[in-house]
Amino acid sequence: MLRYQENNELHRDFHGTTNTTLNYIAEHYGEEALKTILRKTGHDVYKSIREKLEKGDASELIEHLTWFFHREGAEFNLSVRENEIRFECLECPAHKHLKKLGLKISPFSCLQTLEVNKGMCEGTPWVASVEHLGDDHCVQVFRKKAAR
Amino acid sequence: MIPSDHFVRFYNEVFKFLDEKKGLQAYYEEISRHQELHCLELFRSKGLQGVYDYYVTIRKEENCDLDLILNGHELILKMNKCPSLSKALDNDAGACRKYCLHCPGWTCGIYRKAGLYQVYALMGLTNPQCCEWIYDDLKLAKAKYRELAAVTPRDELFASFPPPA
Repeated sequence: MLRYQENNELHRDFHGTTNTTLNYIAEHYGEEALKTILRKTGHDVYKSIREKLEKGDASELIEHLTWFFHREGAEFNLSVRENEIRFECLECPAHKHLKKLGLKISPFSCLQTLEVNKGMCEGTPWVASVEHLGDDHCVQVFRKKAAR
Repeated sequence: MIPSDHFVRFYNEVFKFLDEKKGLQAYYEEISRHQELHCLELFRSKGLQGVYDYYVTIRKEENCDLDLILNGHELILKMNKCPSLSKALDNDAGACRKYCLHCPGWTCGIYRKAGLYQVYALMGLTNPQCCEWIYDDLKLAKAKYRELAAVTPRDELFASFPPPA
C-alpha cells in the first residue's frame, strides 16, 4: 500500500520548477550537494518503501513506480523477477512537459531518478541503477545483492 | 523522475539544505525568475484579473481550498487549506520549519515587476492556511499593511513594497 496516495489533479508545471532547482543547486553548491539532497529525498521521504525493501518486500516500490508514472501519462514496461525489477519508461513525462514549456532540460535531470532510487535502497539488499536508452527513454533497475 | 505529486516533498528537502547554507532568499529569487514564464505577462497585461485567472487554474491543478475575491482594486487570496504545506507536513521526512516562506519569497518579485502590491499574512508555519491581499494601488496596500501590522506577528507579515512606518 502506498504511503502517499495522491489521486487528484496533477500540476505538471512542477517539473519546470524541479528542472530550475536541479540547475540552481548544482551551479551554486555543486553536483555532490545535489546528489546529497536527492539521496536524502529518496531515503527520508520514501522511508516506507525503503523499510519494506529492507524486509525483502518490493510491493510499495512497484506500486509507486506504476501509479505515479501512470498518473503522469507515461508508457512503461515493468518486469518483476525475484532478484530484479526493471521499469522501462519509453518517454520521460518530465522531459515531455519541459519540452512543451520550451525549457532546456537540465543536464542533471536523469540524476534525480538515479539518486532518489539509491536513497530508497540505502541499507537494503537492493541496488539501484539506471540504463539510458535515449534522451527521454530509460530503464530503472533495482537488483538484489547476492546473498553472502 | 520525481513525480509532480511529490515535488513539494523534494522542495522541502531543498529548503532544509538551503536554510543551513543561508541560501533561501537567493533561491526564491531564482524561482521567481522561473515563474515569470508562467505568469508575468498575464499579471502585467491584465493586472488583478490576470492574477485571479492564474489562481483559478492553480486552485484546480494544485487542489487548493482557496477563496478568490476580486473587489475593484483589491484581490484577496484566502487559502483555507494549502495543499503544499499539507504535503510537506504529511511527509516521513518532516517539514522544513521555514516551508511557508517560499510563497511570499517567490511571488513578491513577480508582483513588483507587474506593478502590483502584495500584503501577505501567514498563519503559523504548521498551519496550512494563509491570506494575501493584492492591490493595483499602493495607498490601499499600505493601508492594509498598517491594519494587519497591528495584529499580526512581525515574522508572519510580508509586503512586496517597503513597509510603511
